[in-house]
Amino acid sequence: MTRATGKSIIKAIGTQRLVIIGVLIVLFAFFSIASESFRRYTTLITMSSYMYYIMLMSIGVTFPLLTGGVDLSIGTGVICYSIVGSFIIRQMGMPIGVAMLVTIGMGVAIGFFNGVIVAKLELPPFITTLCSMMIVRGLGSILTGGMSGVWPMAGQDGSWFRDLFKVTIDGTIYPVGMVLIIILVTVMSIVLNHTRVGRYILAIGSNKEALKLSGVNAARWHIMAYVFSGFFAGLAAIAYAGTFSNITPGTGAGLELDAIGGAIIGGTAMTGGSGSIIGTFLGVCLISLLKTGLPYIGLQANWQQIITGAIIITAVTIDMARNRKQRAG
Amino acid sequence: MKAALQKFKNLRFVKLIGFNRVVLILIIFLMYGFFTILTPILRNGSSFVNYNRVMSALNYAYFIGFLGLGVTFVIATGGIDFSIGPVMFCSALISGYCLTKFNLPLWFCIFISIAVGALFGSIGGYFVAFRHLPSFITSMALMQVAKGVGSIFTKTQSVTWPAAEATSSWYRYLVKWNNLPTGFVILCLVAAICAVVLYKTRAGRYMLCLGSNKEAVRLSGVDTRRWEMLAYILSGTLAGVAAIFYVGAYTTVQPGLGDTFNNEAIAACVMGGTSMAGGSASILGTVIGAIIVALMQEGILAMGFTISYQYVLTGLIVLGAVTADIMSRKRRN
Amino acid sequence: MNEVILTMEGIDKSFPGVHALDHVSLEVAKGEVHALMGENGAGKSTLMKVLTGIYSRDAGSIVYDGRKVCFSSPREAQAAGIVIVHQELNMMGHLTVAQNIFIGREHTRGFLIDDAQMNDAARQLFRQLNIDIDPKEKMGRLTVGKQQMCEIAKAISHEAKVIIFDEPSAALTDTEIEQLFRIIRVLRNKQYGIVYISHRMDEIKQITDRVTVMRDGKTVGTLITAQSSKDDIVRMMVGRVIFEKPKTVSHVPADAPVVLKVANLNAGRMVRDVSFELRKGEILGFSGLMGAGRTETARAVFGADIKESGEVFINGKKVQIHSPQDAVREGIGYLSEDRKRYGVVLKKNIVENSTLACLRRYVKRGDLIDSTAERKDTTAYVAALKTKTPGIEQLVMNLSGGNQQKVVVAKWLISNSNILIFDEPTRGIDVGAKQEIYELMNLLVKEGKSIIMISSEMPEILRMSDRIIVMCEGRITAEFDVAEATQEKIMNAATRDIAV
Repeated sequence: MTRATGKSIIKAIGTQRLVIIGVLIVLFAFFSIASESFRRYTTLITMSSYMYYIMLMSIGVTFPLLTGGVDLSIGTGVICYSIVGSFIIRQMGMPIGVAMLVTIGMGVAIGFFNGVIVAKLELPPFITTLCSMMIVRGLGSILTGGMSGVWPMAGQDGSWFRDLFKVTIDGTIYPVGMVLIIILVTVMSIVLNHTRVGRYILAIGSNKEALKLSGVNAARWHIMAYVFSGFFAGLAAIAYAGTFSNITPGTGAGLELDAIGGAIIGGTAMTGGSGSIIGTFLGVCLISLLKTGLPYIGLQANWQQIITGAIIITAVTIDMARNRKQRAG
Repeated sequence: MKAALQKFKNLRFVKLIGFNRVVLILIIFLMYGFFTILTPILRNGSSFVNYNRVMSALNYAYFIGFLGLGVTFVIATGGIDFSIGPVMFCSALISGYCLTKFNLPLWFCIFISIAVGALFGSIGGYFVAFRHLPSFITSMALMQVAKGVGSIFTKTQSVTWPAAEATSSWYRYLVKWNNLPTGFVILCLVAAICAVVLYKTRAGRYMLCLGSNKEAVRLSGVDTRRWEMLAYILSGTLAGVAAIFYVGAYTTVQPGLGDTFNNEAIAACVMGGTSMAGGSASILGTVIGAIIVALMQEGILAMGFTISYQYVLTGLIVLGAVTADIMSRKRRN
Repeated sequence: MNEVILTMEGIDKSFPGVHALDHVSLEVAKGEVHALMGENGAGKSTLMKVLTGIYSRDAGSIVYDGRKVCFSSPREAQAAGIVIVHQELNMMGHLTVAQNIFIGREHTRGFLIDDAQMNDAARQLFRQLNIDIDPKEKMGRLTVGKQQMCEIAKAISHEAKVIIFDEPSAALTDTEIEQLFRIIRVLRNKQYGIVYISHRMDEIKQITDRVTVMRDGKTVGTLITAQSSKDDIVRMMVGRVIFEKPKTVSHVPADAPVVLKVANLNAGRMVRDVSFELRKGEILGFSGLMGAGRTETARAVFGADIKESGEVFINGKKVQIHSPQDAVREGIGYLSEDRKRYGVVLKKNIVENSTLACLRRYVKRGDLIDSTAERKDTTAYVAALKTKTPGIEQLVMNLSGGNQQKVVVAKWLISNSNILIFDEPTRGIDVGAKQEIYELMNLLVKEGKSIIMISSEMPEILRMSDRIIVMCEGRITAEFDVAEATQEKIMNAATRDIAV
C-alpha cells in the first residue's frame, strides 16, 4: 500500500524533477559543509534576489520553448524595460504604479512583435528573437537618452515596490518575493495545464499541423506564447529593479541563457511539446544555487558563465539523446 | 527602364559579382553621400568626409569582416554561430595576456589567438555535428563559456596590447602601415581564400550541399558530420584571426564583452546574400556587408547618435533580410 | 440491403497529364463495411480525397444522407459526418488521449478546461467501442494500434455517419488487427457506413460485406464478398491488357557470378529475415505492395538505416556496411523513391549533383576540385544519358522528374557503382521519359552493371526484371523467374496472409 502510494507520488512529481530535488539537496548540503559562510541566512537572501528575475524570465520563456521555439530577447529586454520604467518615474514624474504598467506593457509589446513574426511570417524563432534582442538592447537607451535606470530607493516615494520582494523588519530581511513566485508558479501551472491557451501551446509544440487540422487558429495561440514570455520579462524587469539600485543600459545579454537553462534543466524539451512550470521552478533553483554557492567554495564569479554554458550544453545533450531514443523506440 | 535594367544585369561584370552585390556597393556609396550631407547639418559644420573617418570605418570593417567570413561557412551549412564575438575577445584576451604577462613572442601569441578560436569552433562543431544539438543554443552556451574563460584567464583584467612604438608591435602593421590600410588588403586576401575554399574545394562543396539537403549528401556516401564540424572550426579560427585585427585597431580588450559583434557579423552575412536556410552563401557579399555595417556605425556616431541606434538598425536589417529571403523562397515554391 | 448513406456516381478527375478518376462509382450502405481495393495508383486515395473535399471533382455527383453534397474542405466533410482515419495519424503525442480527442472543442468551466469531464466523455466513447484505453495516458506512449482506436473514437465523437479507413492494418500487429475488426463490427452494428481500403485479401474476406475493385482510375466492379473468391478479386485487380514488350525469358546467363548476396537481414519490423542474391548483369525486381518493406530492405543494405542482424557479401566477400559511405565504397548506389528529399540537392547544379558521390576523385592538390575534369565527365554523362537540359550549369530544381532521375543515375555511374538499387525508378516521371529510363537500365545491365529494381507497378516489374522477388510485410514471400511469373502469381504472393 505504502509502496504503491510512494510510486504514485514519484510518478506525480516526475523522475526528472525528483532527480533535481535530490541534486538540490545534495548540493545544498555540500556547500553548507564546505563553507561556513554559506550557512548564513544572508546567503539565502542573496540567492533569492538573484532568483526572482531569472525565475520570472524562465517561467515566461518556458512557453515559447514549449511551442518548439525560443525567446532570446528577454535578457536585454529586462534591462530595457526597467530602464524605461525608471525613466517614467524620474523624468516624467509618474507614480510608480504607472511605471510598472509601462514596464510590463513594453514586455508584452515586444513579445507580441516576436509572436507575430514567428507565427505569421514564419521566421525561425531564434533569428527573430535575436533581432529583437538587438533592437531592445538599443531601444532602452534611445528612449531614455542613454541614462542608467534608478528606481526609488528605500525611504523614497514609491519604494514600496521593493517590499514586494524583500521586507526588512527589525533589521531582518524576509524574502517575501518567494510568496509572489510561488503564487505565479501555481497560476502559470494552471494556465499551462488547465486552460485552452496552455493546451494549444503544448499542442503547437507537439504537432502544429494536427492542431490546425482540428480547426484551431494555431497562429493566435502561437503568438500568445511569446506574449507570455514578454509579459514575464516585464515582471522580471521590476524584480531586477528591486534587486539592483543601478541599471546600466545595453547590458543584460546572457541573462536569457540562465532563464532558458533553467527551463531546459527542468525538463522542457527544446523540440517543444513537453515541460512544466514546476520543472522550470526547480531548474532555476538549481542554477541559482550553483551560481550563489560556487563562489563560496572558492570559484571566481566568472566561473558562473562557464557553468551556465556547461549546464546548457549538458541539458540539451540529454534532451536530444532522450528525443532520439524515443524516436528510435 | 525594365529593358535597361535587364541590360545592366547582363553586363559581364555584373554577372560576375552578382546583381545583388552591385546593389550593395551602390548602397555603400549612397550611405556615404547620405552621411556626408547630413553630418554637417546635424553637428553644425563638422564634416564627414575625411581620411581618418574612412580608416576608422575600415578598422571596424576588418574584424567584422573576418567574423562574418567565418560565420558564412556555418550559415552555408544551415546552422548559426552566436559565439564568434565573445570567442574573438577570448582569443584576444588570452593571447594578449600571454604577450604582455608571459612575454611570449608575438608570432606565437598570434598563433595562440587563432588556436583558441579553432578550439572553440571544434567544441561547438562537435556538439552540433556529432551530438545533433541545435546550433543556436550550443553556440550561445559557448558564448558564455568564452566570456568566462577570457575573464578567468586574465583575472578579470582588461588586456592592452603593446602600443605602436613598443617592441612586439608589428602586429599593428597588419592593420595599418604608414597610414595605408594594409588590413583591407589582408581582408581581401583572406576573403579570396575563403571564396576558393567555399566554391572550389571539396569541403566547401559539401558544406553548401549539406546546407541544402543533408540527407541526400549523406546517402551519396559522404560523412556529413565531418564537413559540418569543419564549418564551425573555420568560423572559430577566423574569430581568432579577427581578434588580431581587433587589437591591431583598438589595442585594449575587456573581458565579458563581444556579443554585439555576433549580430553585426551575422547582419553582414545576410545582407550580403547568404541565406539563413543554408545552401547558398556569398563571400563577396559578406565583405561588402561588413563594410556597410562599419560605415553605418561610423555614420551614426558622426551624426551624433549613440551606438544604441546601431543595435536597433542591425536588428531591423537582419529581420528584413531574413524576411525577404523567406518570402522569395515561398514565392518560388 | 440497408438504406444507402453514400452514393458517388460518375466521378471524374483529371490532373495535368493523368486521368486519375474516370467515371468512378461507389455506393455505401448503412451498417455496411465496403472494401475498396486496387493496386497502388488505381485511384482509391484520389476518390476518397474527392469525397472529403481535398480535391474538387471535374464531374459526377455525390449524394450523402439523401442530399447532394459538395465539400470544399475536409473540415466541412467532417462536420457533415464523413471522417477519414488516416494511415499517418494526426496526433499530438505529448497530449493525453482525451485531450487529443477533444482538441479544439474542449469542455470548459469558466476559464478552466474541464479535463475530468473530457476524460469521462472519452471513457464513454471507449466503452461504446468496447476498448480499454486510459484517457489520461499520453498519446505518444500508445501503440500505433491504440492510437488508431483513439482516432476512431474521435471520429465517432464528431457524430460521423461514414468512416473511411485508409489501410488501417498496415502498421498493426495481429492482435491489434483483431481488436480493430471487433471495433469495426461494433460500428457496423451501430449502422455506420464504413469504407475499408486495404490490400490484404484475408482481411477483406473476414470483415467486409462488399468489395469494389478499382483499376487505372476506373471502377472494375463490385462483388459481394461472401459470394466471391480471392481469385475473383485478384483477377479484377490485375486483369488489364498487357503492356508492350514484356520480358519472357531472363537475359542473364546461367553461370553469371553472384555480385551481391544478402543473408538473413533484419532491420526493424519491416525487414524480417530477408535473404537474396543478385547476379551480374541482372535486373532483380522487388515487387510487393506499399509498405511491404522493400524500401526498408534497400536502405538497410545500403547502410542508410541501422541493421539488427544479417550479412552482406559483395562478389563473394563478406563486407561490413554500417553507413552509406561503406556502401558507396563497395560500389553500391541507391536511387531513392523520393528523389527530391534523398536523391538530389535541388538548389545545386547538375555538375555538383553528378559528382557528389565521388568528389574525392576530382580533388587535386590540397582540397581543390578539378572543375575541368568534373565538367568534362558531367558533360559526357549528360550526353550519354540524353539528359535534357540547357546546360550542365542548370540547377537540378529546374529539371523535369525524368531528367532529375538521370542526374542521379549519372552520380552513381560516375562513382563507378556496379550495383544500382532503383527504388521506384519511374515514379513521378511521364510516359516518354519512362521509356528512356527503361532503355537506360537495360543498357546498364548489358554493360555489366547489376540492378535491383523496386517497383509497385506490375507492368514495370514484368517488363524489366530477369527475376522477381515478392515481399509482403517485411518478408520475402515468393521468388519467380520472369519466364514463370504472372500478375496473378505475384499479386497472390504480395497479398498473402502470413502465418506468424
